[in-house]
Amino acid sequence: MTKAKTKTVDKTVMKNLGLCGCGMPANAAAVDVKDGRVVRIRPLHYDQNYTKEELRSYRLEKDGHVFEPGFKSLLPPLSLSYRNRTYSKNRVPYPLIREDWDADGERNPQNRGISGYRRIGWDEATDIIAQEIRRIHDSYGPFSIYTQGEGHGEAKIASGGHGCQIEMLEYCGGSTKQARQPDSWEGWYWGAKHIWGMDPLGQNIHQNGVFRDITENGDAVLYWGADPETTPWGWGGQQASRMCYWFNEIGIKSIFICPDVNYANAVHADKWIPVLPNTDAALQLAIAYVWITEDLYDKDYIATHAIGFDWFEQYVTGVLDGVPKTAEWAFEKCAVKPYTIKAFARYWAKHAVSIAHCNGGGYIRSVFSHEPARLEVALLGMQGVGKPGANQFKFIEWTLFGLDSFSPLPRSETWPTIEAAFHGWNMNPNPSFIPKTRIHDAILDGPIDWYGHVICSFPRHDQFRHFEYPLPEAAPIRMIWSDTPCWATCWNGGYRYQDAIRDASIEFILVQHPWMENDTVFADIVLPIRTMMECRDIATDNMAGQFALLFLEEQAVEPIGEAVSDFKAVYRVAKKLERYGGVYQGLTEKFTRGMTLDESLRLAFEKSGIPANFSYEDLQRQGFWASPLAEGWESETAGLFNFYNDPEAHPLGTPSGKIEYYSVPLAENFPDDDIRGPYPKWVEESDEHQERISSERARYYPFLLVSNHPRWRVHAQCDDIPWLREIQTCKVVGPDGYRYEPVWINPQDAAKYDIANGDVVKLFNERGAVLGGAIVSERIMPGALYQDHGSRLDSIVAGTGGIDRGGANNLIAPSHTTSKNAAGEVTNGFLVGIAKVDVGELAAQYPDQFNREYDPAFGLIASAYIKEDE
Amino acid sequence: MTKAFLIDFNRCNGCRNCQIACKDEHCEQAWLPYAEAQPIIGHYWMNVKEKTRGQVPVVKVSYQPTLCTHCQDAPCVAAGKGAVYQREDGLVIIDPGKAVGLRELVDACPLGAIYYNEELSLPQKCTGCAHLLDDGWSVPRCVDACATEALLYLDVAEIDLSKAETLEQTAAFGPRVYYLNRPRRFIAGLVFDGTINEVLIGARVELLDGEGRVLSSVRTDDFGDFRFNQIEPAVYQLTVFSDLGTRTFNVDTREQDRYVGDIDMTQSG
Repeated sequence: MTKAKTKTVDKTVMKNLGLCGCGMPANAAAVDVKDGRVVRIRPLHYDQNYTKEELRSYRLEKDGHVFEPGFKSLLPPLSLSYRNRTYSKNRVPYPLIREDWDADGERNPQNRGISGYRRIGWDEATDIIAQEIRRIHDSYGPFSIYTQGEGHGEAKIASGGHGCQIEMLEYCGGSTKQARQPDSWEGWYWGAKHIWGMDPLGQNIHQNGVFRDITENGDAVLYWGADPETTPWGWGGQQASRMCYWFNEIGIKSIFICPDVNYANAVHADKWIPVLPNTDAALQLAIAYVWITEDLYDKDYIATHAIGFDWFEQYVTGVLDGVPKTAEWAFEKCAVKPYTIKAFARYWAKHAVSIAHCNGGGYIRSVFSHEPARLEVALLGMQGVGKPGANQFKFIEWTLFGLDSFSPLPRSETWPTIEAAFHGWNMNPNPSFIPKTRIHDAILDGPIDWYGHVICSFPRHDQFRHFEYPLPEAAPIRMIWSDTPCWATCWNGGYRYQDAIRDASIEFILVQHPWMENDTVFADIVLPIRTMMECRDIATDNMAGQFALLFLEEQAVEPIGEAVSDFKAVYRVAKKLERYGGVYQGLTEKFTRGMTLDESLRLAFEKSGIPANFSYEDLQRQGFWASPLAEGWESETAGLFNFYNDPEAHPLGTPSGKIEYYSVPLAENFPDDDIRGPYPKWVEESDEHQERISSERARYYPFLLVSNHPRWRVHAQCDDIPWLREIQTCKVVGPDGYRYEPVWINPQDAAKYDIANGDVVKLFNERGAVLGGAIVSERIMPGALYQDHGSRLDSIVAGTGGIDRGGANNLIAPSHTTSKNAAGEVTNGFLVGIAKVDVGELAAQYPDQFNREYDPAFGLIASAYIKEDE
Repeated sequence: MTKAFLIDFNRCNGCRNCQIACKDEHCEQAWLPYAEAQPIIGHYWMNVKEKTRGQVPVVKVSYQPTLCTHCQDAPCVAAGKGAVYQREDGLVIIDPGKAVGLRELVDACPLGAIYYNEELSLPQKCTGCAHLLDDGWSVPRCVDACATEALLYLDVAEIDLSKAETLEQTAAFGPRVYYLNRPRRFIAGLVFDGTINEVLIGARVELLDGEGRVLSSVRTDDFGDFRFNQIEPAVYQLTVFSDLGTRTFNVDTREQDRYVGDIDMTQSG
């Protein structure tokens, strides 16, 4: 047999296919192009340019097992399937205007999300946009434009990450900025910082060496609400999976504490402790009770490393409130059997135990999430956190904020940074801003006030500063300009958000986005944006847990339709504004910083911090640069060992430098706050939140919903990828052929509600309902339901009391924040009811919505919203 | 040199990179002479089959990447009327130029690894990415995309056949896809004293076969848990011994893995 040679590629370009956005993620991929199309996305092999010796790769050995970091990029399926995003049938093909929105006449805000769109040219679109901006500036002032430009997305830099419009508007008076909150680690930010500092995260910021430490000294890892087989994917790929397998191989006991058999639990667990969503605080308190009453904690450590422990001890034992936090007490709340709580507490006290996190999950994004976060630190402290084998670490975001101390794996010698070319969002505080969690309140109920800049990188003491909207003498917002149109699918109280963006006070909504998805279909004008395959850019890959990379991203393919980059779209608006002179004079020069794209890329390279002997031309020739690992990792101090060893010389970031079981700053700043008090505790409910199974509401909405970060998306991204949508845990095909977002229900509960596999069901509470496809499964404990969040919006009825076919369950999440002085999101662990739905009946009731154009592979597609020219 | 796939259940995290990479290679793009374009959805030339095992709180998910086993004596070659052939490296190829209309090939494969492309009237399946191997690649796309070394492409001689298994459906035909650590069944449980709400640590638990022979004996751990792994599907007798007495259960794993429950040794039976 002779082998026939087929031409398999014309050119290969490199792309960073991480989906964190913000110019930060990893997932370096080799993209093969043939005949002008992307034909292949594959891992990058580092041996293309380097040997293992050159990059100082390593072998960690134990009991005959070997761990190596790997010598190719460890892409997730989201990256491998990404050409579907570029070639999605849901791409915005050209600029669109809502058919019944007229800048010079009726604006029909009530029809946002309902009315269709017609095509307009770029010229006409940017004329209208510039006119509107000028009108709003003249009539109300610059702070009446609300800019949403900080959410997750593609890893673009010079071509414009999210937030180009914010930068441009800053050159002509500013805007009211949507603050970039610590989404996905709310509880750590609002709670844990007050017990152990750890700015800016609230989670342990001293993670260096922890992977080696656990290998050498650890007995167990607690995966507490963590799914390393899901959450890290869009940030840095699959190194987390390999780390979990390593722990399995060398006999580190893997204990999962969560309501669901999440995807890591499914393959890595030695022990699963099912706990009802957002009741971890009860479990934690009962563990503390066992330790205190059985003398199973490190009293010497507490004496030297902590303050205020007596408050906590008296609360746990019931001295303060008359309620001893026994295992039997906790069982009523969290459903973990008392004998298991006690056995677990004793096991923990006898072993070297570390706790692993990935962000997200019901543990840290629900009501009062500051409490489980603080309680975890309280428990870590009682077992001498920092001692060998006992730390807290993360499987994700290993170089967040450019800090060098976040990586539990051996880290790179150099982290290149390319901020010099970044036109995206920034962490700077604006004079006028609104917490992302409060925008619906601001529009519907403004003025509002709150504490803290709520920006994820801000320190603990910022939470004591008071702010309000609107600024004195400023007008309320009249226009929204978003490049992040996924608020309703990702944040707290999505239906209330839909009420807000259909409010008559909002005169103009502009969205720029590659896809006709989620909030995009509520815009008045939509501008088509390129995916990164159509852009030329520069990238780093610093979060993969391997070797830091720097590379140029050549344009892979020609743009789809009339799409331009985010940067170019904003530039075109700036160009039109410039015609008005005055404050707009010289706007494009300021916005481009006087540089061409080539100059911008070269500047980013020059400022990247990589060794001077490697030139831009070297990079062009070689494709990518990789950093060797830093030397000396074998002997570096692991995790919090320095604090453990000498707390005076290595203090924490709290006022006392110690673990503060009682927080004086919280007591002084919020003396009346009985929800986030000075010491951590169990909170049953508050004026704002009744989301417990003990609540009166639970009579009608008896289940606690787990709405994890999705396995087959990154938040709302990628829900149109056909190869993911056909995976059985990604979508459930209903009797009508529609692919519904799965709802996991335990067989015991399914029997009670007469729900079978494949049934279409609705999850509901008084905020509204979302549909889903039932999977009857042992992967979820009784009393809880599971539906990933971020499914693509498909409104049947928008706004409060609405129905969504897509299953975007953030729509029915509480709209109130974590607690009254903590402006975090609540998007998980809330009460819902479940009922079987006769989808035929519903279709008959809402024929227009059910007859939207629908592609069996991609799902909803852009043409469903676009009216053909007459 | 004859090649083979080696798939390790203990390293497969179910990410479906192999399945996706296969689709990325073949959907809507042809690589002649080995493959016409695959439809955008519906074919699974690499198919990660998943199975949820056990009951709360001992639940595992097993993933089985399943593809054409490129059999030495492939039934599809026999049924293919000359349209299916085997390369020197062992890859079995359906010639897209000769196989038009041969719907019967779909049924010829006992594993269900051949799919029918209705639009092209063509039976289609894994080609082992022969076009890439010809072009210098050392492994197919699925293997290249695997992040956990769960999926390898090796010379047959490199595989330890004493540990590897093949799938029953094609075992008779000389399959060249091997598996490590294929899951059997497990039985798990927890032992406790209901009077004082405490787990029992170190309690002996015996697994007996239908004739009453002791197959295995374990002791409960720090959590009161016990588990028998990799046992065959069958009806077993389980006996738990403790100072509080002895309890015996029949456990049927013929259909599924079993969590027998939290066993209160203060109860009888």
